[in-house]
Amino acid sequence: MCRRWRGRWVSLLVAVCLLAPGPAGAQDAESLKQDLETMRKQFDVMKQQYESRLQELSERLQKLEAQKAVTSPTSATPAATPTTPAPATPSVLSQTAQPAAPEPSLMELLKPHQPFAFAGPGRVLLFDIGVAGDFVTDFTSNDAERRHDGTFNGRENRLFPRHVELILAGRVDPYASATVRFTGAEEPTGPGGRETEINAKLEEANGTLLTLPFGTTLRFGLMPPRFGTLNVVHEDDLPQVDRPDVLRRFFGQEEMNTEKGLEAFWLLPTPFYQELSLGVFNGDNEEAFGRGSIRDPLILSRLRNFWELGDTGGGLQVDVSGGTGETFEDRRNTIAGLGAKYKWFPPTGYPFPLITLAGEAIYENRGFAFTNGAGETSTHWRESWGYYAYGQYDWTKRWAAGLRYDWTELPTASGHEWALSPYLQFKPSEFLRFRVQYKHTRGLSPAVRDADEVFLQGSFIMGVHPTERF
Amino acid sequence: MRRLLRLLPLAVTLLATMLAPAAALAKPRIVATLPDLWAITEYLVGDLVDVQVATHFGQNPHDFEIRPSQMLLVKRADLLIRNGLEEDGWIDSIVEGSGNPKLLRGSPNVVEAVLGVEVLKVPRGPIDRSLGDVHPLGNPHYTIDPRNLPIVTANVVAGLSRVMPDLAPKFEANRKAFLEKVGSAYEGWKQQLAPYKGVGLVSYHDSWPYLEQAFDLTECGIEEDRPGIPPSPTHIAMLIRTMKAKKCTLILHDSWYPTDTSEFVARQTGAKVLIVPQGPGAMDDTKDYFKWMGYLIDHLANALK
Repeated sequence: MCRRWRGRWVSLLVAVCLLAPGPAGAQDAESLKQDLETMRKQFDVMKQQYESRLQELSERLQKLEAQKAVTSPTSATPAATPTTPAPATPSVLSQTAQPAAPEPSLMELLKPHQPFAFAGPGRVLLFDIGVAGDFVTDFTSNDAERRHDGTFNGRENRLFPRHVELILAGRVDPYASATVRFTGAEEPTGPGGRETEINAKLEEANGTLLTLPFGTTLRFGLMPPRFGTLNVVHEDDLPQVDRPDVLRRFFGQEEMNTEKGLEAFWLLPTPFYQELSLGVFNGDNEEAFGRGSIRDPLILSRLRNFWELGDTGGGLQVDVSGGTGETFEDRRNTIAGLGAKYKWFPPTGYPFPLITLAGEAIYENRGFAFTNGAGETSTHWRESWGYYAYGQYDWTKRWAAGLRYDWTELPTASGHEWALSPYLQFKPSEFLRFRVQYKHTRGLSPAVRDADEVFLQGSFIMGVHPTERF
Repeated sequence: MRRLLRLLPLAVTLLATMLAPAAALAKPRIVATLPDLWAITEYLVGDLVDVQVATHFGQNPHDFEIRPSQMLLVKRADLLIRNGLEEDGWIDSIVEGSGNPKLLRGSPNVVEAVLGVEVLKVPRGPIDRSLGDVHPLGNPHYTIDPRNLPIVTANVVAGLSRVMPDLAPKFEANRKAFLEKVGSAYEGWKQQLAPYKGVGLVSYHDSWPYLEQAFDLTECGIEEDRPGIPPSPTHIAMLIRTMKAKKCTLILHDSWYPTDTSEFVARQTGAKVLIVPQGPGAMDDTKDYFKWMGYLIDHLANALK
């Protein structure tokens, strides 16, 4: 632009020179000189005005771009006046702190609030969406396939979608959040058949009240209750391909992850981390409970402890759980769990190798309906227990290997089984993971046979997914 | 009745928990999500308030794993200082698990330190995971440019003053003293790097655009073509060609990434690898903001000689 202006003025000057009379006297020459000087001054003034205007527009554009880049519109935190970065000069130092914002009043807390939805003009989605896919292949012998007694029974020697989930989560209003999770999975149909079908179901739908008194957090709806260590872990986040045998035998393939009820938890005012939870549920787990009535509820509680073992000693978590409910036969079943997990990684620099050691034991005291020859019904009590323990070594962010040992009694039959499962894990990125696992099972019960299986697993995550937890 | 008795111990525990008086806190507690915000806030509060950091020093916030101890930290805090560009997005889960509603996003007790800062490298166009673990809101390492600190500290002091209005004048005075110190340190750092104006830097991760902006350096290339994804051989080959063509001789390598790729690139190009703390405390004796920046600038100037 400047060049164009300069060009115009040069052309004008040339034109003036050409059109000027040839034989000019000294006076005329002096007059022309003055005119030229005046025009030069006018030109300089115009140039300065033009450049100043251009600079002003440029700064304004930069400010607008900076404001556009600035985020978190939901925050009520008053910002400093958005400006372009400037050196730490006294003029900049004159920015003062914003006045205190009032706390929400009790009436404000009690007032109903408009639920958020799709935002209007920007079409910004006000909650998070994530998709996870988990595909498994279970290679085993033809005998095991015929008997359908593999770890993934009814799906032996098949590649199948074990768990595909759509998760929607976000804040409902300033005082609550919610999570909804739909899942689809291939499941066997019919007794002993090879038929399978993809079943879709609502696996989680709960609201969480975040601002209750005494630091209480309350969840209501359909949820995986806080019990033990792995119960709250989704299928695609398990440390190995399959759930440990003790959990599978005691609570079934699906774990106790679709209970309906209420759950409250607190962080206790202790010097180290202690979280206490208490939940009341229908009792819909068919293996362990199954009464399915809030009149005779399943009550679960867990105390989770965590210690940081110094700056270089890693972290240790110990959880103790208990629960009681009624089985589908209307007999009481009481369960208890004890879990421990230890993790170590270099405290600074590259956080690998990472070493994980973990284990969990479950105990059950369960009543069974027993009818004698005279037709009289009584309750027969049976105790059983089992455990698993594993170690995993992540030598880089991508590669890990581990070994799990399972030992468990069968809650509804005599005898026990043990299994040994080495596995290898490869994660090309945070969102994609492959595993191969060999599992040798030794059955010391008429109900369980020896088996050798190889699992292949591929999992992916799209969109939002909860941050990795300890 | 027997059923009720069975629940009695639990009920007693719960009641005791709910009625237990909150621990008497002599001073309000502040939690900063990241070490850079912690180091800056330390100067603003002086001895008036305790400031703690939610991450470990030297821990890559991208590889962060939520630990229960962090929930305990947040549970006890009165003010939370966040980066605001999702570098610390994990803090939402920690706050929700802590049972401390004061620190939920949107509360007056939460400071988004970035508000008002001119954010660099805000991605344009469609953003998905094919771009890697990209920061959709822009590059979050803005405290490396000292010229952003007037805005950042204004945000932090505003938050501090909301929680402790009686101490507001002291925070403002601390801020003024801190910014004066930053101003004079910045002049010194600029002089140290003045001979290298326009020099191109290569980095493993895209951590340094604000450093380049503040000290008139330029970006020659980044080893990670997509954040969080190990670089592809094709990209590394292209980077090596670029470095040779542009005569780029220095690779800045954040201390928490494995060095094998940077060392390979250095061998191919004759460049030096300079391992640097991406945040305060990531290397020994760098927890203080000035020591951290001083370490960066001293080592950078030495390496560029």
